Amino acid sequence: MLEVELAGLKLANPTMLASGILGTSGAALKRVAVSGGAGAIVTKSIGATPREGHPNPTVVEIDGGLISAIGLANPGYEEFRDEIAVAKEGGVPVVGSVYGFNFQEYAMVAEAMQGYGVDAIELNISYPNVGKAGAFFGYREELAHEVVSEVRKRVSIPLFAKLTANAGDVVAVAKACEDAGADAITATGALRAMAIDVTTAKPVLGNRVGGLSGACLKPVALRCVYEIAEEVSIPVIGCGGITTGRDAVEFFLAGARAVQIGTAVLYRGITVFRKVSREIAEYLEEQGYGHVSEIVGLAQR
Amino acid sequence: MHEMQVVEIKKIVRETKRIRTFFLDLDVNAIPGQFVMVWLPGVNEKPMSASYTKGDLGITVLRLGDFTRRLFELSEGDLLGIRGPMGRGFKIYGDRLLLVGGGVGVAPLAPLAEEALRDGKEVTAIVGALTASELLFVDRLKRAGARVLISTDDGTAGRKGFTTDVLAELLEEESFDQCFTCGPELMMAKVLEITRSKRIPTQASLHRYFKCGIGICGQCVLDGTGLRVCKEGPTFRDKELRRSHEFGRYWRNAAGQKIYFGRR
Repeated sequence: MLEVELAGLKLANPTMLASGILGTSGAALKRVAVSGGAGAIVTKSIGATPREGHPNPTVVEIDGGLISAIGLANPGYEEFRDEIAVAKEGGVPVVGSVYGFNFQEYAMVAEAMQGYGVDAIELNISYPNVGKAGAFFGYREELAHEVVSEVRKRVSIPLFAKLTANAGDVVAVAKACEDAGADAITATGALRAMAIDVTTAKPVLGNRVGGLSGACLKPVALRCVYEIAEEVSIPVIGCGGITTGRDAVEFFLAGARAVQIGTAVLYRGITVFRKVSREIAEYLEEQGYGHVSEIVGLAQR
Repeated sequence: MHEMQVVEIKKIVRETKRIRTFFLDLDVNAIPGQFVMVWLPGVNEKPMSASYTKGDLGITVLRLGDFTRRLFELSEGDLLGIRGPMGRGFKIYGDRLLLVGGGVGVAPLAPLAEEALRDGKEVTAIVGALTASELLFVDRLKRAGARVLISTDDGTAGRKGFTTDVLAELLEEESFDQCFTCGPELMMAKVLEITRSKRIPTQASLHRYFKCGIGICGQCVLDGTGLRVCKEGPTFRDKELRRSHEFGRYWRNAAGQKIYFGRR
């Protein structure tokens, strides 16, 4: 009832761990797969060189979500080889998230991750909190097209592009990615945001600004998925504020074939994937559907 | 939700030349072993164990790097941001308790001793430091009614050597229902080795580089277990730590690279 095929990947259920949550080490990824019940796991975004990221506070809780600015912290792709090996012990598809400061870095790291055995690559052109990396390539269709094209030349496994709702025209960016050879679109990453402490009159986050995630992002992400799914023929993966099965169902109805869950780990624990899967199945049974694929894009018609 | 609460420093107590306790205008009822994220506005935010867990929150800090140096420049009345108390604290089992604390690691053990003694438990505390003037909370532990055994690396107070030397000798003579330890990780690894051979269940409070502090970023996950130090910890049972090939060997820096513990 819940198994899905996503750009050639076979998932036992349509819930995936979103990049940037718990994905810094193989041990954490494996736990999300084994205990958490995720259908696939996406690593933290990995780059060409080690990065410490931004100073703390890197996360601030607000009503209905989080604002965070970890700052693309990662140990560099070479040291990540061992983590992939451990993550694969989880027994579900492992998606390697990749960022870069230029096209060459994206292509080099993606190729290396393919060599480490990941099942797919997700290009991070969505992360908004480090100057000329991540979302820098996702704001406009020309850059997005070139990143995907350059990586496509070097990797043969499925290639996802994760977009940002901060893009001027997210549908145009999605179409550019499809045109350049992407196999799926993940929509969307965090929205640029900030929090200020009124007692000290200082921004709370070490980076001053951060990315908004959680329930308050959901309506924006849902709108993006709806608009993108109407215009592209490759699968769309919904991401942004999905906390319950009901949220996931909204994304399927909008046209998503799978969903990514991140911030909800805070509210419902690591087993949120198992819980959301069960809730999706309950909805399908209640409504008389036999399989999750039957509701994909229903709201489009 | 763990909102950032910005509060005044009510009182600062100089414990040793390099260790101070900051009492904050924040009423808490924490479990010994729990931690708070301490924000120095505009500078950084770090995890600290609560050293006073009932009433005004107290944190006891060793001056070590840039963040703690900036913290030591603050005065009473200055502001700090606090998230927490958070994480899993120590859990008391049995009646005869043994505490092993090295350096500033005594900080979470002192409120544990006070709580246990109030509940009528028997508490023996092994307290170690590099030198006599750096010993932490010896008087506080004695006042609460604990038996205190001391070691210093240079022999200026108590037994010359390490807490683990005192521990090994003590366990030749006596037994305990439960052991609690906090201090340098290599010391704690040795404590677990010794208490395991004597079949004394042991809880250890770990220190790791924290980012989110609320269990979502993955920075502090222990290899071999998938356990989050900020969420399932910072206190762990010996049997949990035995599953981790990371404990006692390495930690991860802000980039997530493995940094191996040096030998002391």
